[in-house]
Amino acid sequence: MSSKQTKTGAALVFEVLQQHDVKHVFGYPGGAIMPIYDALYDSEVKHFLCRHEQGAAFAAIGYARASGKVGVCLATSGPGATNLITGLADAMSDSIPIVAITGQVSTKAMGSDAFQEVDIIGLSLACTKHNFQVRHVNELAEVLTQAFDIALSGRQGPVLVDIPKDIQMAQVEQTLALVSANKKDDEAIAPANVGSALALLSQAKRPILYVGGGVGMANAVHELRSFMHTTGIPSVATLKGLGAIDVDDECYLGMLGMHGTKAANLAVQESDLLIAVGARFDDRVTGKLAEFAPNAKVIHFDIDQAEISKRRLVDAAIMGDLKVNLPALAIPLTIENWRQRCKQLAHDYANDYTYLGKGIYAPAVLREISDTIRQQNRAEQTVITTDVGQHQMWAAQHMQFSQPCNFLTSGGQGAMGFGLPAAIGAQVSRTHDSVIAICGDGSFMMNVQELGTIKRYQLPVKIVLIDNSKLGMVRQWQQLFFEERYSETDLSDNPDFVALAQAFNIKAKLITEKSQISEAINDMLTHQGAYLLQVKIDAFDNVWPLVPPETANDKMIEKVN
Amino acid sequence: MNSQMKKQMNSHTLRITADNQPTVMEKLLQVARYRGFIVTGMTMFPEEKDQLSIELSVKSDNSIEHLQYQLHKLIDINSICVNNNATKQNLA
Repeated sequence: MSSKQTKTGAALVFEVLQQHDVKHVFGYPGGAIMPIYDALYDSEVKHFLCRHEQGAAFAAIGYARASGKVGVCLATSGPGATNLITGLADAMSDSIPIVAITGQVSTKAMGSDAFQEVDIIGLSLACTKHNFQVRHVNELAEVLTQAFDIALSGRQGPVLVDIPKDIQMAQVEQTLALVSANKKDDEAIAPANVGSALALLSQAKRPILYVGGGVGMANAVHELRSFMHTTGIPSVATLKGLGAIDVDDECYLGMLGMHGTKAANLAVQESDLLIAVGARFDDRVTGKLAEFAPNAKVIHFDIDQAEISKRRLVDAAIMGDLKVNLPALAIPLTIENWRQRCKQLAHDYANDYTYLGKGIYAPAVLREISDTIRQQNRAEQTVITTDVGQHQMWAAQHMQFSQPCNFLTSGGQGAMGFGLPAAIGAQVSRTHDSVIAICGDGSFMMNVQELGTIKRYQLPVKIVLIDNSKLGMVRQWQQLFFEERYSETDLSDNPDFVALAQAFNIKAKLITEKSQISEAINDMLTHQGAYLLQVKIDAFDNVWPLVPPETANDKMIEKVN
Repeated sequence: MNSQMKKQMNSHTLRITADNQPTVMEKLLQVARYRGFIVTGMTMFPEEKDQLSIELSVKSDNSIEHLQYQLHKLIDINSICVNNNATKQNLA
């Protein structure tokens, strides 16, 4: 009779990861996670060593958002684990499925203020969908399996699994492949309020489709576009909804909200029916909530009951899977006058990219990058990530995306430092596609160490660094609302970014004049390998329109000299 | 139209059953606090089959229904029953 085979908890971790089709993880080793890293040495899972655990967390997020798979990151105990917190909060706010595995001090040492011990379970309780601390090696496989199920189910989100070192080292008997079962069975979905929604739809004279990040996350882009084709309803998108709507749709009005297009915001204010699809009436979208879409009834499609009527009371809620619910409501509508009105708005407030002077206007550069990609038929194979700030808003306003998974930006948290590591994660998940990180000079410095990750793995990530030597968005707000008292927003002592990139063997170029743009874009896109294009712009360029705080969206500021 | 219309501070009691996991109470209280609810009383005792029985009294301006939906999302919570104690406000 052969003796039962045993393996370590650490080896079991990789067995379970492979059962869940995990091929890539992002992380950084340390004392309390060494057994896992030892097991990694023999595993087929490919590990990407980032240079900061925050980089690993954002890379896992970029990986998940670009591919639809669960992103996985590893960190050691103590400071390794705490460095994940920003990433976890970002994934929580934007509903991204990631599993973070942290090492922890041995069970015997826990609670004694041991070296590199931190209560990561307590710390991450508020910024994870769920977390686990493995208490015995026999529960390790089930816990990890549950972690993946929870991350992916319903409204997706981050799950943390904390594994004490002695449990990583403990022996466990060979386990059979676990069949994953949801801990919480899918709730019986309340019968969708289809009847009342259909009535609202057929009565509406000025309906607007308000499309959010949920469409991409539900894998329902096709169903949305089909719905739009059948109904003819004019549409607006949130920051995370960009890419869900076909940009060539004549009645697509662009992004709405604080930096939304004038056309989108005016149309929403005039509408008599707002159909929210996978969107949550976020404050960046609504402006002054009491005055948002003041004349509209609301139909709200969502997967999360807690979002229904959380901020705006709805008239009909359609819970559940968009792939099922959108087709159920696709009826042709007679709204030709309204469609004409929306087309007129789109025309009247279309962007103008002509400008005077020799200097560079960031919206024009970003638009040219986007146009070049579309002309080359590369839109489906190109992922754009951004950091946070003015450049992010310009990218959202002026670039065009073919799918939501091709535009990755930190929405709910607005975490600076997101762009570069997210681009790394996206590139790893989509090896044959192009990935371009649009960064601001402030944001770029926050995770600049990840240039080391690009160098190490020779990732052909392109970086467009929009450089105004300012913390631009804050500076703009100081100009508009704090009487030009520019407190701590001057970054004119930035390093030489070209030299910095070259120190990581990354090709780099600086441009300062309009005449240099086209050639530089071409050089960047055709270069085989990583590339940094530093684009100097005027320090006082602002993002327009802007809806000030506590103001209705139609009272936007259009320009201030 | 606005769901944040002013309400009188209302008291409620929630009867909750949950899996007996170390983080359940902490998470329950965190969500209640974060969503603007003050805890005015609490009892908790274990039951059979590794379950916890929790009675939580809270008060807030905010909608108890919304707290219920947020709590319902918690993985370890199995059932929530709300007992409106609006009348308690008037007797005193």
